[in-house]
Amino acid sequence: MITIAMTTGFVLILIGLYGALTNTNILRMIVSFTIASTGVNVVLVSVGYMPGRTAPILDDAVPVGSATTSIIDPIPQALVLTAIVIGLGVTALMLAYAYRLFRIRQTLDISKIVELKW
Amino acid sequence: MVSAIFIIVVGLGAAFALGLLKDSWRNGAFALTMAALAVMSWISISWLGALASGAAQPTDILTAGVQPPFAINLRVGLAEAGLLSVITLTGLLSALYLRDALMQQGRRSMAVLLIAIMALSGIVLTRDIFNLFVFFELMVISTGGLVLLSDDERAIGAGFKYLVVTQVISILLLVGIIFTYHAQGSLNIDDFAAQPLAAKGAGLAFFLLLMALVLELKPFPANGWALDIYESAHPGFSAIFSAASGTAAVYAADKVLATGGAEWLPLATFIGLFTFLASNILALRQDNDRRLLGYSSVAQIGLVLAVIGQRDILGDQFLYIAGGILIAHAVAKAGLFWISGVITRRELTAWTVLRLNPPLVVAFATFLAMLIGLPPFPGFYAKWELAHHLVAEGRVAVLVLILIGALIEAGYLFRWFGLAIKREAPVARPKYAPGKVLVIYAAALLGWYAGYRWGALSQYDNLLQAMPLMVALGFLLIEGLPARIKNVIAIAALCVWFWLSYGSFDPLQMIFGVIFMIGGAVIFLASFHETGRRLGFYPPAMLMYAGLAMLIVAESSFAFFAAWEVLTIGSYFLILRGKKSEPHALSYLMFSLGGAFAILLGFALAAGGTAPLAIADLAQVTGAVAPWVFVLLAIGFMTKTAAIGLHIWLPGAHAEAEADVSPMVSGVLLKAGLYGMFLLLMTMGRQHLFGVDLTYVLLWIGALSALLGNLMAIFQEDAKRLLAYSSIGQMGYALFGLAMMNHLGWLMALMFVINHYVYKSLLFLSVGGVAKRTGTRDMYRMGGLIKLMPLSFIAVLIGIITMSGVPPLSGFGGRWIFYNAIMTADARLPMVLVFLSGPIAFLYLFRLIHTIFLGQLKDEHRQLKDAPFWILLPQMIYVAFLLGFAVLPGMALRRVDAYIGEHFTEQGLSWEGLTITSEFGYWSPVQIMIVIGTIFTLLFLLLLALNHKAQWVKQFNIVYAAERPFRPETTHFAWNFFAPYRRALGFLLAPLVTRFWGAITNALHETAEFTRKLYTGNGQTYAVHVLVFVVVLYLVAGGIS
Repeated sequence: MITIAMTTGFVLILIGLYGALTNTNILRMIVSFTIASTGVNVVLVSVGYMPGRTAPILDDAVPVGSATTSIIDPIPQALVLTAIVIGLGVTALMLAYAYRLFRIRQTLDISKIVELKW
Repeated sequence: MVSAIFIIVVGLGAAFALGLLKDSWRNGAFALTMAALAVMSWISISWLGALASGAAQPTDILTAGVQPPFAINLRVGLAEAGLLSVITLTGLLSALYLRDALMQQGRRSMAVLLIAIMALSGIVLTRDIFNLFVFFELMVISTGGLVLLSDDERAIGAGFKYLVVTQVISILLLVGIIFTYHAQGSLNIDDFAAQPLAAKGAGLAFFLLLMALVLELKPFPANGWALDIYESAHPGFSAIFSAASGTAAVYAADKVLATGGAEWLPLATFIGLFTFLASNILALRQDNDRRLLGYSSVAQIGLVLAVIGQRDILGDQFLYIAGGILIAHAVAKAGLFWISGVITRRELTAWTVLRLNPPLVVAFATFLAMLIGLPPFPGFYAKWELAHHLVAEGRVAVLVLILIGALIEAGYLFRWFGLAIKREAPVARPKYAPGKVLVIYAAALLGWYAGYRWGALSQYDNLLQAMPLMVALGFLLIEGLPARIKNVIAIAALCVWFWLSYGSFDPLQMIFGVIFMIGGAVIFLASFHETGRRLGFYPPAMLMYAGLAMLIVAESSFAFFAAWEVLTIGSYFLILRGKKSEPHALSYLMFSLGGAFAILLGFALAAGGTAPLAIADLAQVTGAVAPWVFVLLAIGFMTKTAAIGLHIWLPGAHAEAEADVSPMVSGVLLKAGLYGMFLLLMTMGRQHLFGVDLTYVLLWIGALSALLGNLMAIFQEDAKRLLAYSSIGQMGYALFGLAMMNHLGWLMALMFVINHYVYKSLLFLSVGGVAKRTGTRDMYRMGGLIKLMPLSFIAVLIGIITMSGVPPLSGFGGRWIFYNAIMTADARLPMVLVFLSGPIAFLYLFRLIHTIFLGQLKDEHRQLKDAPFWILLPQMIYVAFLLGFAVLPGMALRRVDAYIGEHFTEQGLSWEGLTITSEFGYWSPVQIMIVIGTIFTLLFLLLLALNHKAQWVKQFNIVYAAERPFRPETTHFAWNFFAPYRRALGFLLAPLVTRFWGAITNALHETAEFTRKLYTGNGQTYAVHVLVFVVVLYLVAGGIS
């Protein structure tokens, strides 16, 4: 189960990177990066997963006393939540950039934005 | 003391508060931003002060009331406090600098700026790697926002490329973090340190984590994105991006690297050095100021990474060294970006506009000196300590690469400075926003302050408390005074310094001391000729003299090296003042700095890790390392004496300098190299490398310099160039005398030291005076000036009689000692060469009289007067001195002779009355004077008696008889005077050395031009660079570990 999840995560990362590096359309690149960061999140979660345990939420079903033996590692879960939020922020910023680039350059082709070089 | 967490609280709180303000309250919003940044700076600085003085201890700040690793903890130690101060102060000053842009964009941009500074501070403070990731992402987002402050539309493209690359980096970072966590069971950095990573098989995870952090340092070649930002962003932001972001990212890498153990350090060294060298080479081809600064930033951060790679051997000096380089870089780079913001155009030559505002030129020079690590800035002390540690641990290769990189960096930075000083400047003085200029001055002052602090922390004397240097820098403050008043102060300063210190001089120091200080004061008399304020003359001149003054009293290798660099910088600025000096000053600086680095390496090798090393202890250096120390120091000193092979800077530098500067850099400055050689040979004596006696090699170098220098001199048309080439020959003689390693050889070298100072200063002044009147330095454009400029004529006559070594003047004394000396030496072939160069010297010297003062007067010169009084005055002093010294050479040489006798067993000279006796014969100056005087008088009377038979020849009756030639010089008898000799000997003068150094320079430039095509400008290519960089390094790391 962990292996499948982790493999899926890495495959998603690779697909995302491949897409980001082969598509010259800026919007497609942004989508590809979203796929890659989803992959990263899957990998993160899968690292903290332990078979047969439940979600790290302390309530009636999981009393505090037995929590250490019955819940999965909560840290990666917390990390993923943060990473998702940050990913959202970065994606929004990239989209804003895409919009401004299109406004001034009338193109979304990244291979045409090469006036700064050498 | 206020907890450091308030840096984050205040930054974040003010950013949120800005969101609540009305959009139209821009002034209020800006005031709030500035206040928040000021509070953040204040907290950082108060921590820095408390930790540095010992009033506070490094403190951990717990969040959520729980011990780590269950909650994030922040730490403030000395390093953190120092870096926080750099970051927050950069933020504060940049915010002031960005005022217009921020006011225009409104409160949101101010909030983003606050978040950026807060995130960078967080990167420094946090001890939790996931928290590190969060702060890094905040930095990315805020950077993405601040890039848009620029007016340059290309910045939008650059910002997007940056986001693309950071996406890749954050994938690496997150994957690295989670697997490190998996292996360690903790996210806290301090828990890693307890358990070495490699042991747990988590090497790859750690590698990815490390790579992500290293990539934030913009390593070559995965840094195209950063360069594009540097080129297009608002310079106020670029200052933050370079100084603050670079600082924070370096510290993050250092924090993580420190936990990985020593096996990861070679990787950091490799990446750092590779980046430092490659980026500096690439910068050679840049003509956009901001992109050039970008390359330099990347290189400097690479250097810091390379130093971090040495942390296993630097011990408790690590902070001092890495911090020194980092702070010098941060202040200098921020300052340079800020200056670039007040300059409207982007090509390097646009910086000429700074000349209309001299204090900005001082700031510019300050920042460049800081970047290169020149004294008295922190980088200088850091460089010195680093060199000694590296050599002590056998990492000489690392040091050599660092020095090569630093030399290349000095090359393009000072080429830029030369452009700014020498190229044509616009006429209209631009109006600068006062706030921006204020920020630049603040940075320059902070730089000087940091230099003072680093000096105080060093185990040596604080250079900024050295009296000569303080006096020289004091001249910066009185630049507004008229030149003549400053000249009086300068002369007084030199005399007073001599008066204060001569009591402790030994005879050798005394001779050099008199030449440097009193000799310098005499040359300054000529400077009375200049009127106005003469901006930019006295500070560099006094800097050079300060270096010379510090050089002769230097007792430790550190003091000697510091003095050497000070005099090098001073003389560079001085030489640069000449009208066409731009390329020559640069070439002078490159050779001198190269030489200085050789000296540094030599001293470090000699010390073997036990600095400070007393100069006298050079004698104790033995074993395999000793000959290498000798070679390196000798090369260093020979760059100053312009020995053949290292001479190509001299002719241009001396000839193009101003009339009173030429004697300073020729008569005075060249002796610094000889002083070094004296000390070297006195302490280390004969050294053998691969069975070759190194003094024998020096003998050959001296002989070849004498021969070739003189040969080159005879073919010059330009009188000052002629004198300059002749200096190469004269220094060759002196070197030859020293390398003979016997009593008389040394005495002769000292005689040359004195004589060369006098006659070269004399001749440069008289030729300079003539050139001032005639408006040309080409000898064939002059002629017949004897009646119009009689005093100059007498000066030149006396000068060349002395220099050619014919009786009765003191040059003959030099020759006489020389002939005695070679009787006892056994190197025959180089001796023949030196003999040959004697008559050759006569060939060019005679032209000075013959072509300038005899022959036909040029029509346009009929109204000329003799040279100006103040230029003549020192000449007449020299003439009087030469006549006196000819009769009484014993007054200086006697004590020196006895002093040298302490070093050699063989017989010196005996001085009885006015007669000097050697084992081969005697020399009686007074008798010679009487004999020569009698012969001269008789001949003179005879010629007078025959004078009535002379026939006056009308001008033009031969040369211009039939036509007016197209190129007048080709028909002038003095043009190409020695053409037959050139046909015979010209092959010796093929500019092989010039071609050699030119080829090296060209190869570097071609490499740069070829390699920089790597940065295609395409964001996807940059992302591929990043991935390839990681993969290749993984393979390399496998190889290293």
